[in-house]
Amino acid sequence: MTSPDVLVIGAGPGGYVAAIRAAQLGKSVTVVEKGEIGGVCLNVGCIPSKAIITASALVSRMRQADRYGISVTGVAVDMAKLVAWKDSVVKRLTGGIGTLFGKHTIRVVAGTARFTGPGKVAVKTAAGEEAFSPGATIVATGSRPVEIPGFSFDGERILSSTDALALSAVPKRLLVIGGGYIGLELGIALHGLGSEVTVVELTDSILPGTDPELSAVVHRTLKKKKVRVLLGAKALGWKETPGGLSVEVETKKGREEIACDKVLLTVGRRPNSEGLGLDLAGLPVGPGGFIAIDAHCRTGAEGVFAIGDVAGQPMLAHKASREGIIAAEVIAGRPSARDWAAIPAVIFTDPEIASVGLTEAEAAAKGIETVTGKFPFGANGRALTLDAGEGFAKVVAEKGSGVVLGVHLVGPEAAELVSEGALAVEMGATLEDLALTIHPHPTLPETIMEAAEAALGHAIHIYTGK
Amino acid sequence: MDSFDLVVIGAGPGGYVAALRAAQLGMSVACVEKEKMLGGTCLRVGCIPSKALLESSEHFETARDGLKEHGVKVAGVTLDLPAMMKRKDRVVRTLTTGIDGLFRKNKVARVEGTARIAGPGSVVVTTAKGEETIAGKHVLIATGSRPAGLPGVAIDGDRIGTSTEALSFSDVPARLVVIGAGYIGLELGSVWRRLGSKVTVLEYLDRILPGMDAELAAEAMKVLGKQGLSFTLSARVTGARLDGAEVVVEIEGKDPVRADRVLVAVGRSPSTEGLGLDAVSIATDGRGRIEVDEHFQTSAPGFFAIGDVIRGPMLAHKAEEEAIACVEWLATGYGHVNYDAIPGVCYTDPEAAAVGKTEEELVAAGTPFRKGRFPFLANGRARTLGRTEGFVKVLAHEKTDRILGIHILGPRAGEMIAEAVAALEFGATAEDLARTCHAHPTLPEALKEAALAVAGRALHV
Repeated sequence: MTSPDVLVIGAGPGGYVAAIRAAQLGKSVTVVEKGEIGGVCLNVGCIPSKAIITASALVSRMRQADRYGISVTGVAVDMAKLVAWKDSVVKRLTGGIGTLFGKHTIRVVAGTARFTGPGKVAVKTAAGEEAFSPGATIVATGSRPVEIPGFSFDGERILSSTDALALSAVPKRLLVIGGGYIGLELGIALHGLGSEVTVVELTDSILPGTDPELSAVVHRTLKKKKVRVLLGAKALGWKETPGGLSVEVETKKGREEIACDKVLLTVGRRPNSEGLGLDLAGLPVGPGGFIAIDAHCRTGAEGVFAIGDVAGQPMLAHKASREGIIAAEVIAGRPSARDWAAIPAVIFTDPEIASVGLTEAEAAAKGIETVTGKFPFGANGRALTLDAGEGFAKVVAEKGSGVVLGVHLVGPEAAELVSEGALAVEMGATLEDLALTIHPHPTLPETIMEAAEAALGHAIHIYTGK
Repeated sequence: MDSFDLVVIGAGPGGYVAALRAAQLGMSVACVEKEKMLGGTCLRVGCIPSKALLESSEHFETARDGLKEHGVKVAGVTLDLPAMMKRKDRVVRTLTTGIDGLFRKNKVARVEGTARIAGPGSVVVTTAKGEETIAGKHVLIATGSRPAGLPGVAIDGDRIGTSTEALSFSDVPARLVVIGAGYIGLELGSVWRRLGSKVTVLEYLDRILPGMDAELAAEAMKVLGKQGLSFTLSARVTGARLDGAEVVVEIEGKDPVRADRVLVAVGRSPSTEGLGLDAVSIATDGRGRIEVDEHFQTSAPGFFAIGDVIRGPMLAHKAEEEAIACVEWLATGYGHVNYDAIPGVCYTDPEAAAVGKTEEELVAAGTPFRKGRFPFLANGRARTLGRTEGFVKVLAHEKTDRILGIHILGPRAGEMIAEAVAALEFGATAEDLARTCHAHPTLPEALKEAALAVAGRALHV
């Protein structure tokens, strides 16, 4: 029986960060991982998808190079090279975490963990089984893609995001079921690499849950790219045809057969809480398969913590990392809690979407009266020099006090710009604080400043009336 | 004679912003500009056209050398310089005509001509039609600056030119010498290097990017050197002369350098010539800058000055901020600029951006501080972009943890610095920055990690 101070189950962005933070605080740490270090995010999620998006954006840029005064001929994709580069990016990052584990003397056990009783964990490894009775256990098992009736992942025709990231050839015709951020990020990237893409979304809007004003901009660019988007449409089933696949879709107008070569199914993710022996740990699994946690990431079972996707929405890597830090600090006796004011969310579509804090609708639902300021990238000098004038920045503030409640962006580099918004929300900034902070010229974040000014009624570079 | 609440001289980013803000605040405003295009140096022959060329030339270099690794193939890549210049001109036109539109909507009277101060509250404008006198309850001087010269180097506007010429070369010079390793020289030097020039940068000091943090400048020099910019430091240029189709640049104690074109980028001087400062006894300092108090009042009642023509960094956003502070003070009695939080950006690749104190400044002032540093090599987003050069450095007070300076060399540093400025403005501690949730995978996570590193607890190094 081994008894580290902390046993972390899962080495994704929640688990590995928790392990490093616990080690920084002087704890002996063991991490159990059944797959690769880095979890979904680094191996088959955020990181490889962004590498493919980078390559795809390069292709698109080269196809439009004449805009910049460059004549480029014969643009083509070398998928094997692209995949090799993507894999090298993943390997460097996961290898980096392995090195950090070594430096922090964090032990890694390759295997599958399961609770055998309160405070007891057994890990099935290639060599057999190892028993642990850790001081504290952090469950960071993450989530996995879900399927829908009629569609089961087979890695060949019906692809999960994991499968799509491992494609060795660009499919000629791709049907994406689920117009959320994973489906659209990958769909747009593959479109850039040469796929003909159709998106089937069950609800009435792409990117459900996103401020509709933001998603409308992405919807417009999808149309421009000639990506076909079917809203309020349900995929019923598929069959093989001589030319590929045929997917039956029920739309508002009736049933339609859509021909394609691959189906990418991205309709959501489910927490990995089964098979863990949670009942033996004395841990009830809550609604939706999530493990319920308190402000300190504690579960209902003594000494057991849960973080990340398995502990509730939003399923975002940076939320998992933050909870990992909190759990480690709480275990080390530090005052630490899930007391953030805001968690930003970023979507790497074209253009990007990024959002932090409350939207107008969310504020209204909470009974908060708001003022809103908007500023278009089309009136921003830096955006025009980048040839990227699409989209806008929007700042939502409480009426009267002017306290910034949310910052929402759709446009160039939105993901890199939103952290200023997160800091503003976190520090209780007012509109005037953002407006009076000197933003360098010519840069994209000037749009945030001008949106704040617009909310105050005096943006400089757009006319808002008297 | 037309009479206004405010007469602004100069329609650069200081002047036009002052005019618009004053109009928003209910003043009647005239803006005098001698150029046909509004927007001043920044929009016509500065920030904007240079960024347009930087972007285009970066794509050219990517197309030539930066695709293979990412699995993108091209058969042929050729430069169409006239088309590249046309795009630059189009961007400039869109933005400058945008200001025309804003002037119209805000009812700012635009006077095209050269202004001269005639007396208290009185400005004479020489226009195409003759002279016109306009009266202003307040007169705001926002005449900006122009490229400074160098003794012994006669700028002929052709082979030997300033940034203005280097934004419009009709061909790619085989050899370009840049005198001055400040941000203008490095940005334009980078543009022409990417387009095919062999670029030599001569710098009087023993380092590049004077004024920026030395550690950052040293790293920038390493990276830019690797890209092919050749640097000669501690080089005092004593002269430049034409020799046939070539230019010979003489350097004290060193061999002369031959080039096809020379870009003189040794700084800028305030533009006050012919402005008639003496008519109302407006005092200037030893460097020709108009002296102002904290409300931008000159020594002459009713006359104000902002931007490059007064003390402080010659930056568009500093001018804009002064414009707003000055005009709001006139209208409301409130308005000030926090000079401790003015960011600076250099758009090389990687970009360099900074706000607050440098490490050298803190050492010189004897301020006890802690330093956190995080390399982009360890940032996931940088890896996925294939752009891993540079680092973020956060300097915080040793006792209070308050952030004193942030210095970034890296991809999109110019966009990232805004968060750092906000942090400084809010009086944030390094821990405040470290505990703000940063989205993954994004570049500003490096800023968070550098803030963590201040306390010795970065996660990813």
